[in-house]
Amino acid sequence: MSDYVKTTEEPNSESRITNSESMDNSNEQKPRLDLDAVRAKLAGKKGAHYWRSLEQVAETPEFEAWLADEFPNRRSIADIDRRSLLKVMGASLALAGLSGCRGYFMPEEKIVPYVNQPEEMVIGKPLYYATAFTHAGYAYGALVKQNEGRPTKIEGNPDHPANRGAANVQMQASILSLYDPDRAQSVLSNGELSTWEDFLKVVRKDLADQKKTGGAGFRLLTGTVTSPTLQAQIQELMRDFPRMTWHVYEPFGQDNSHAGMQMAYGQPLAPIYDFSKVKVVVSLDSDFLLQQPGSLRYAADFIEARRVKNGDVAMNRLYTIETTTSITGAMSDHRWGVKPSDLLRVAAALHGAVTGAAPEKGSVPVDAIARDLVANRGAAVVVPGEFAPPEVHAACAAINASIGAPVSLVRRFDIPLGQTTGNVAPPTGPQGLKELVDALNAKQVQVLMIAGGNPVYDAPADYNFRAAMANAPRRIRYGYYVDETSKECDWHLPATHFLEEWSDTRAFDGTVSIVQPLTMPLFEGRSIHEVLDAIAGRPQPGLARVQSTWRGASGADFDKRWREWLHQGVIPNTAATPVTAGSTSTFTPAAPATNGGGLEVNFRPDPHLHDGRYSNNGWLMEYPRPIIQVTWDNVALMSPKTAQDLNVRSEDKVELQLRGATVQAPAWISPGQPDGVVTLYAGYGRQNAGSVAEGAGFNVYPMRTSGAMYYDSGLQVKSVGGVWPVACTQIHHQMEGRDIVRIGTMDEFRRDKSLYRAEEKLDHEEIREQNMYPDEIFNANDIPQWGMTIDMHACIGCNACGVACVAENNIPVVGKEQVKRGREMHWLRIDRYYTVNDAASEKAVREDNIGLQDPIANPMTVFQPMMCVHCEKAPCEPVCPVAATVHSHEGLNQMIYNRCVGTRYCSNNCPYKVRRFNYLNYSDNQPQFANLDFSTGLAWAPAPIHSPKEHGIELLRMLSNPDVTVRGRGVMEKCTYCTQRISQTRIEAKKQGRNIADGEIITACQQACPTNAIVFGNIADPNSKVSQMKRDPRNYMLLEEEQTRPRTSYLGRITNPNKEISG
Amino acid sequence: MALHDPFTEPLIEGDKHYGTIDEQIGGVIQNQKRYHLKHPWYLFLGIGFALLNVLLLTIAWLLYQGIGIWGNNVPTAWAFDIINFVWWIGIGHAGTLISAILLLMRQQWRNSINRFAEAMTIFAVMCAGLFPLLHTGRPWVAYWLFPYPNIMGMWPQFRSPLMWDVFAVSTYFTVSLLFWFMGLIPDFATLRDRAKTNLGKKVWGLLGMGWRGSARHWHRYEQAYLLLAGLSTPLVLSVHTIVSYDFAVSIVPGWNVTVFPPYFVAGAVFAGFAMVLLFAIPVRAQYGWKDLITMKHIDWMAKIMLATGLIVFYGYILEAFYSFYAGSKAELALLQWRINGPYAWAYWSLILCNGIIPQLLWSPKNRRRLPLVWIIALVISYGMWLERFVIIPMSLMRNYLPSSDRHYYPTLWDFSMFFGTIGLFLFLMMLFIRFMPVINMFEMKDLLYKLQGTKASAPPAEPALAPAGGE
Amino acid sequence: MVAEFVHPDDVLAAAKAARDAGYKRIEAYSPFPLHGMSEAMGFRDQRVPWIVFLGGLTGAVCGFALQYYIAVWDYPLNVGGRPLISLPQMVPVTFESTILFAAMGAFIGMLAMNFLPQPYHPIFNTPNFERASQDRFFLAIEAHDPKFDHDDTRKFLEGLSPEAVNYVEG
Repeated sequence: MSDYVKTTEEPNSESRITNSESMDNSNEQKPRLDLDAVRAKLAGKKGAHYWRSLEQVAETPEFEAWLADEFPNRRSIADIDRRSLLKVMGASLALAGLSGCRGYFMPEEKIVPYVNQPEEMVIGKPLYYATAFTHAGYAYGALVKQNEGRPTKIEGNPDHPANRGAANVQMQASILSLYDPDRAQSVLSNGELSTWEDFLKVVRKDLADQKKTGGAGFRLLTGTVTSPTLQAQIQELMRDFPRMTWHVYEPFGQDNSHAGMQMAYGQPLAPIYDFSKVKVVVSLDSDFLLQQPGSLRYAADFIEARRVKNGDVAMNRLYTIETTTSITGAMSDHRWGVKPSDLLRVAAALHGAVTGAAPEKGSVPVDAIARDLVANRGAAVVVPGEFAPPEVHAACAAINASIGAPVSLVRRFDIPLGQTTGNVAPPTGPQGLKELVDALNAKQVQVLMIAGGNPVYDAPADYNFRAAMANAPRRIRYGYYVDETSKECDWHLPATHFLEEWSDTRAFDGTVSIVQPLTMPLFEGRSIHEVLDAIAGRPQPGLARVQSTWRGASGADFDKRWREWLHQGVIPNTAATPVTAGSTSTFTPAAPATNGGGLEVNFRPDPHLHDGRYSNNGWLMEYPRPIIQVTWDNVALMSPKTAQDLNVRSEDKVELQLRGATVQAPAWISPGQPDGVVTLYAGYGRQNAGSVAEGAGFNVYPMRTSGAMYYDSGLQVKSVGGVWPVACTQIHHQMEGRDIVRIGTMDEFRRDKSLYRAEEKLDHEEIREQNMYPDEIFNANDIPQWGMTIDMHACIGCNACGVACVAENNIPVVGKEQVKRGREMHWLRIDRYYTVNDAASEKAVREDNIGLQDPIANPMTVFQPMMCVHCEKAPCEPVCPVAATVHSHEGLNQMIYNRCVGTRYCSNNCPYKVRRFNYLNYSDNQPQFANLDFSTGLAWAPAPIHSPKEHGIELLRMLSNPDVTVRGRGVMEKCTYCTQRISQTRIEAKKQGRNIADGEIITACQQACPTNAIVFGNIADPNSKVSQMKRDPRNYMLLEEEQTRPRTSYLGRITNPNKEISG
Repeated sequence: MALHDPFTEPLIEGDKHYGTIDEQIGGVIQNQKRYHLKHPWYLFLGIGFALLNVLLLTIAWLLYQGIGIWGNNVPTAWAFDIINFVWWIGIGHAGTLISAILLLMRQQWRNSINRFAEAMTIFAVMCAGLFPLLHTGRPWVAYWLFPYPNIMGMWPQFRSPLMWDVFAVSTYFTVSLLFWFMGLIPDFATLRDRAKTNLGKKVWGLLGMGWRGSARHWHRYEQAYLLLAGLSTPLVLSVHTIVSYDFAVSIVPGWNVTVFPPYFVAGAVFAGFAMVLLFAIPVRAQYGWKDLITMKHIDWMAKIMLATGLIVFYGYILEAFYSFYAGSKAELALLQWRINGPYAWAYWSLILCNGIIPQLLWSPKNRRRLPLVWIIALVISYGMWLERFVIIPMSLMRNYLPSSDRHYYPTLWDFSMFFGTIGLFLFLMMLFIRFMPVINMFEMKDLLYKLQGTKASAPPAEPALAPAGGE
Repeated sequence: MVAEFVHPDDVLAAAKAARDAGYKRIEAYSPFPLHGMSEAMGFRDQRVPWIVFLGGLTGAVCGFALQYYIAVWDYPLNVGGRPLISLPQMVPVTFESTILFAAMGAFIGMLAMNFLPQPYHPIFNTPNFERASQDRFFLAIEAHDPKFDHDDTRKFLEGLSPEAVNYVEG
């Protein structure tokens, strides 16, 4: 921990130095610096522009040496020393505070904090800056917390329409990638260290040659691009090289949606749904709560429209017809699993039913659904699956048009602004790549620039991109990691993290955000804007380039506007304007896809790692995936029945054969999965992609071909014997008739508002009387009493809270082997139970005692976020022999790490099992990333904690939240209700001599939650939001009969089934 | 072998007098050549020493890496560490029980085995003591469990059963040590007076503290000894009761059972006597003490094992009964988990080892078949270990919230730690046999006097040697 | 004046006889406690039990006081909402400390009352006395006994048919 303190202190001292005030009262950490000499040197210099840190001014020998080294950070991180890294960090304070000297073509730039202006940076007080995180081309507004120049946490920007202050897992975890020791750090030429200058020399020469042919041999491959600046730059490039071609490839992009809209409207349109108005939603294999660019907003609106406020049960209804399990399916009131090949048939039938044609009989009662849709004309919507065939999108467009669904159509803004018609847009999806591959194979490509994406890894197998790109004499890769594709390129250019660059980006609804950096690049990265300008021969700083895009738009007084935009994190009124397009409402279904025999397969992006771009992110890798609760692996998801037919069990090693490719994978039984369908998450099986990604899971891309990017059939699965141990964090999936998650239909709710379901009668008063302990030990009347409610009616199980907790509380990544042993450190876990819709059938199900092995065709899936519930009569406290866990006057169950000797008795005695123990020195080691050999099942003896991966620690330490102790080995830890946030607020309130206002303290999990399922506050105040929630009839205390009096209580979940269907 | 009537059967067989007792017992120590070189003592010492080194290696690695080298996890935060602790403590109970309780009950037959059993107690408690210390995540601050004034201003938290353990175990160790040493003083004096070598005279003289067997000394000695016995009796019962509180006081399903204290104590005696027999049978054969530790002793110890075994078995039945009686879903789930979960084999072999097999001891014939008794004792020791396995990790694997159920797998280090302590125990026992009077000489003489009166006194002639050799 | 006997009964009888003969300062030595010897010598001493009792008392008080002081006065904490004075939970430690102190009392008391350790004592000079810890029994009549007379006492002891009678300088 002392190291930890140092790493946070170092920047402080440097920051004190960079702003020349408070130099005297700063307790100087580098005595060798002669401050007077420095002042003398400073005299007459124009501060910001000429010096980077005090060492430079003082010309200390080591700083000279550091300067002398032309590329100080280009050494492999293995032998990089902490001081030099920290110097860079110190220099980054220039940005945060006063001056920014950012390398040779970056002059001073001003960025604007979100809440408090840094006239004088207060050491120990974080600053918050608004910026935007871009995922697969679409933006989410971010508020980034910065401690002394270190970005330490990413939260949602409340002013941003895409997430309204919420955050998804990728967004929050991206901060870890900033400090990823495995990220690309310097320019590589054929794997050798090189420099930007050399690269520019080479590429400018190449492009000069290209000029002659108008750039016929110049190809640019990107992912989805919504950044207006980048689009403009590419267009400029295309003006310079009229015959160059720009290709776009997203392994899991919006291409089916685009094609479908193209089909339905003949225009490049994108649908934007307004769930706040919707009463009936039908999802045709859509995971709109998680997988869409607008998901965070959709989830919020959708839940708002079904939220139950004290007994008011007016709520919307969600039908889901899906080809795998998803959290949207888990939230739905009616769910059917269908084969991918049936999806189009269902869509057509639904369309037919809505438009009055006689519906064909199928497994799904489309007529009933259609009646419900039509009955709610104008407040009903059908959402097609992101990866459903274009026809399904077209069908849904037609249905939505006919029922006047609240869907606004906007022109696709991933097409550059200037261009108006679709065919000018670069073809997305596989077609886009196809043209490139053909050109490559035809040897028409001289200069190939791959900016983003990792085609060698994730291109369709039949393109054989690796071989194809070898035909291009010049292969340039601009990327964040030196990955599979970089290995095939002769130049690798290190990309910047979005916290290191100026840029702009657009959200799902087109709203533009300016991306402002919070630190200078840790390594030699340059933003894509800078790179494109540089190779085009007109180098300019990223800031200038981005500003030039917007100077025109702002009108007068650009600088003021600019500051406002940065401050707000969004540029007002930039949302795409809806267009009215005549739908070809008469939809004629194409011939339904036919099942080519064998099992059907369903390619999905991993809920955390997406297409693999985040697969080296330990937080995302280790947090259990929604519903399946699997970590560190992808698995072949199959229904219990399918598994029985194949005679395999979970963790059996199976061989998947599809289109000539053969892949070994672990089988995994997932109730709710449609029979005969195997779902495969992409993003695993990486090679030389970093210490986290390596060895995790298997690669599905070899089986994925351009003809069947998302759905395919003809999969052969056969068991090859042996096990593939999978680190899954939940082995029991039934509530076994216990009163854990309360759930009921609206009728049951009307009957018994408490939704209590278990057989035994439960009498609160009786239970309270049984408690022999005094209600109060110390008088705490005038002190706030903290409490929390979690509304399981609102929880969609998206994991945002869990990752937020990891980020806020310095929770370490422990690695697959430790998770397999049951030692994951997540303070907040999301329990998932399979149950059935109503009490009667639950009883039936329970009586034949269903385990995961037994088939349940279509269970209801419920989520229960579970962290320390801060019992008033905590069982963990009296059993601690050293009083290391005791109660605070504010009702917090406190854990005093320094006092803990690690007997672990508290964990044993915790009925909720929410305590976590540092069995090894997790916090500053990464053996967890060592790839252990699991071929013989679980390792007999855990791996040593010391491993070659230690080098990354110093870098990763800069991520630590200085307000939260980093726990050493041998101590217990658990959720603290974010006590550091409570303290900060309490101190502020005390200073201002007032009480803490309700809602002033927001815990990390609460902050991230897109649906406001978590409410935290003072339960002693009857008017606080949390008190109101606790008065809700659905409110109950988990395991109340154990006399623990938890401060966190849960609110039961209500479903709204359609009588016509459920009977 | 004909049936023996345990009441008429003599406690000391053969033609004995005071001198031969000294010779037989003291000679083991003072006449090495005859008693050790030709015996496999060195072999067992070697085994013990080897395992002891395994223990040291494990501890070193443990301190370097952290207890993550074991298989413990959440929810199973206690496993082998606490199993072994409870197991050893249990074994440590026979000694004091035999010495103290049987002394109070004036059970003469205890005299020939109590010294031996007391030594076992002390060594077993030493082994046990290792675990509470080393199972903590940060052993270097384990001393915080002792109430001493410190600059942190912090005190231990006396509501915790672990604190009770600290006091119970340390008290138990101290008292057992005193009891043992006190019993040794007169024997040290005897050895001092028998010692031929100068060194021997000095060492034994120091240990003997100038004991000269005056009537006044004997008077106070017996008072104190009897009182110590009186104190040890409730102590020995309290120790395992308190150990059982670690579980009974908690709210873990399968732990919070009121039957724990009595059946833990019974189990302790059960295991303790098994261990005494495990050692006594070979040793008496080895050193030719068949006439000091007679078949009658074996017979009675077997009977006690049978009796306590029945109590333990009853405890198992009650546990299952309570699960139904309480009707708590968690308890029922746990019972189901025990009887047909993945670790069901442990539960059923527990029933076999502790419940079924000991029933063989009903037959007097079996009680005198030494190999059989020895094997039963071995089986019981294993069974008692299983009992703790069933109680500790297997209960923890199931929880109130099914979502937090997780499996537990031990690692190699778990086993090396366990067998290492067995090595430590064996090593110390061997040293004890080699350097200490294994049987209480003065009490044997007392007994001899009671049994044979005047004819126990030796003729001035050199006493005859007892026959050596095994069964 | 020390007489050596082979049989415990003899030495018992001898002790009785000596006492009847009016000797006060008698001491007997035996390899094991001879029951009835104290009575024969008319020797009674109850101090050790009292020491043990006081030890136990101290232990009980200290054990309880310690817990009470910590839990209620010195560092009161809200531990799982349990009352500060949770008596049932204070029993085990109180009990254990009682036993501990009492046992200490018994051991130390015994040694102290017997003035042990005491490396040297004149009686060790008696010929053949090393067998006093093995298989011989000795009866000593000390010189500063009022009734002691070198020759009479020797005669008297020899009258008790011992193995041997020796005079040992004290």
